[in-house]
Amino acid sequence: MNVALIKTKAEQFLASELQAKLAELPGSRAKRVEAMERFGARGLPHRQVEAWKYTDLRNILKDAGPVASAKVGGVVDRAGLDRVLGPFAALDTQRVVFIDGQLDSGLSELSGAFSVKPVQPALDAEGPVTSALPEQEAIVDLNRALVSAGVDVSVAAGAQISRPLLIVNLATSQTGAFVSIRHRLSIGADAAATVIEWHGAISEEARGQQTVVSDVVLGDRAALQHIQVGLEGRNRFSLVTTGCVLGAEASYRAFQLSASVALARRQSFIRYDGEGGKIDISGLMLAHGSEHCDTTLVIDHAVPSCESREHFKAVLNDAARAVFQAKVIVRQDAQKTDGKQMANALMLSPAAEFDSKPELEIYADDVVCGHGATVAEIDEDMLFYLRSRGIPEGTARALLIESFATEVLDKIEDERVRESLRQVVLGWLATGVAGDAS
Amino acid sequence: MLEIKDLHVRIADGGQDILRGINLTVPKGEVHAIMGPNGSGKSTLAYVLAGREDYEIVSGDILWDGESIVGMEPDERAAKGVFLAFQYPMEIPGVASMTFLRTAVNATRKKRGQAEFSVPEFLKIVRAKSAELGVKDEMLKRPLNVGFSGGEKKRMEVLQMALLEPTLCVLDETDSGLDIDAIRIVAEGANRLRSKDRAMLVITHYQRLLNYIVPDYVHVLAHGQIQKTGDKALALELEKSGYAQFKGKAA
Repeated sequence: MNVALIKTKAEQFLASELQAKLAELPGSRAKRVEAMERFGARGLPHRQVEAWKYTDLRNILKDAGPVASAKVGGVVDRAGLDRVLGPFAALDTQRVVFIDGQLDSGLSELSGAFSVKPVQPALDAEGPVTSALPEQEAIVDLNRALVSAGVDVSVAAGAQISRPLLIVNLATSQTGAFVSIRHRLSIGADAAATVIEWHGAISEEARGQQTVVSDVVLGDRAALQHIQVGLEGRNRFSLVTTGCVLGAEASYRAFQLSASVALARRQSFIRYDGEGGKIDISGLMLAHGSEHCDTTLVIDHAVPSCESREHFKAVLNDAARAVFQAKVIVRQDAQKTDGKQMANALMLSPAAEFDSKPELEIYADDVVCGHGATVAEIDEDMLFYLRSRGIPEGTARALLIESFATEVLDKIEDERVRESLRQVVLGWLATGVAGDAS
Repeated sequence: MLEIKDLHVRIADGGQDILRGINLTVPKGEVHAIMGPNGSGKSTLAYVLAGREDYEIVSGDILWDGESIVGMEPDERAAKGVFLAFQYPMEIPGVASMTFLRTAVNATRKKRGQAEFSVPEFLKIVRAKSAELGVKDEMLKRPLNVGFSGGEKKRMEVLQMALLEPTLCVLDETDSGLDIDAIRIVAEGANRLRSKDRAMLVITHYQRLLNYIVPDYVHVLAHGQIQKTGDKALALELEKSGYAQFKGKAA
């Protein structure tokens, strides 16, 4: 059956934006038009699309802002940037800064241990041939059509870099821009590095939407610690897509934090291309009000003897909603696969919702795979115990929520990074958990 | 002085009364034991004194130092000097024991109008009291009660009691699950806190604990009422005769 798709206001607007800004946007126009056509054929994903069952983007994203083709909003100086970066400002990092979808060279350090090149020329490329990003993915296509900037980061084989790369993606627009950024990260064989992707807004009044797509390729025995800090803002919609391919015995350790974003979808597509690869991906979703936070993982055990660990937690207040859907595919040849996943949600309000969807597609017979999920409220027995020791109710609740939330931070090996994230979490708990703090 | 007056209590969801008219007075400086069979209401009495919300006070009153504590929040009661050593102390993952102790002690001191302890001051005090109870440094670094043995948990309870300096100590089945050596350590800790300014209520099923914490009075609780009161000899007598004689007395 061929049904003519009725385009939503947001879809129509984004298509018209591409037409209007085609001349200003860098790179191949034909590729952009093609990508927009692919996107337009199916439109924004909606709840009838299995991968978007719990995040009905078509319904949620009613409006889209103008595509950022040149600098919009105010100019940010280093001091201003440091203020919004909070605990991450004090970390010694090599910074690459994007303001409203444009690379700010003045605030960036492009030459350092990480080789960083603006991706303008690479925008035309389809991504690395080994990309783990799915073909025909709506958000990736939308990003291809409208991308304004990005960086191509590479770490030479064998390099051991202790100073992290900090990619800042800051929004300043209060009228709402549509920002699209695309990165490529290549970590050479035997190299080790930490990359922190920080998404935030200059103030709570910042509005708009963004798509960020990163293509990560890890060489044999390469080790990447990839931290994604999601503080996009309570009036912003963020779609962050990561593809990662692991070479033999490579290690991908990822941590994703989301705190108070109107809509956040963080989807990661990870594939092992060589035996003995290990991934450990964990994260924390903090949401209140009517915020919606979606973590989607697709882990493809394409080769034998790889290990995957996923552990996500959510703290949900008011009518907030979190989604954890994790698909683990174990191919027929992928014997000795060891996969485990766990999701835990703490509900602070009866109106909060947590949707957990583990999917195991196992075609091999000699594998160990498991999953689990828990949803709980604050334990009244624990609360009474703490209060019977003289701890006021607000403090006791905060202590219990903090202990639930920060446990997952222990996964982060770098102490400085862990401490910075802890500060962000504690800051959210102090303001995001409306309680009788006494 | 603790005064419990004609106290009737049921589970908040309804149902039969568990405590059916308890009358009990424990002056400061005295240790009273409450003994009784399983299901007699011993633990209910302990929880009600500490302010657990799952119970409904149907009638009667509980006075501490002449003031009714019925309706007070658990943390307010703690500030007034009420302390319950739990039969089953809660395991709290993610909260380091030391952090918990300092938070509890400083919150209580603040409410009592005393100066809060600095970290070094507090460490010094904890070290001294921990040593007396055989609580190792390593235990204090671990999450509260997580992975602790039964004996370690009870020692942690008594350590909390020593640090919070309560004036009314309620020990709920502190001997349960402990071997003789552990009972002795815990009892010595409790005995150290005996003073003329402190009232103590020791709840136990067995007479054994009372060899170590020798009570001034022993009350038998069965069917939600105090059935008999005597001195420490009553505990020994119960050990021989059992609780069967009290069955059905309360109709």
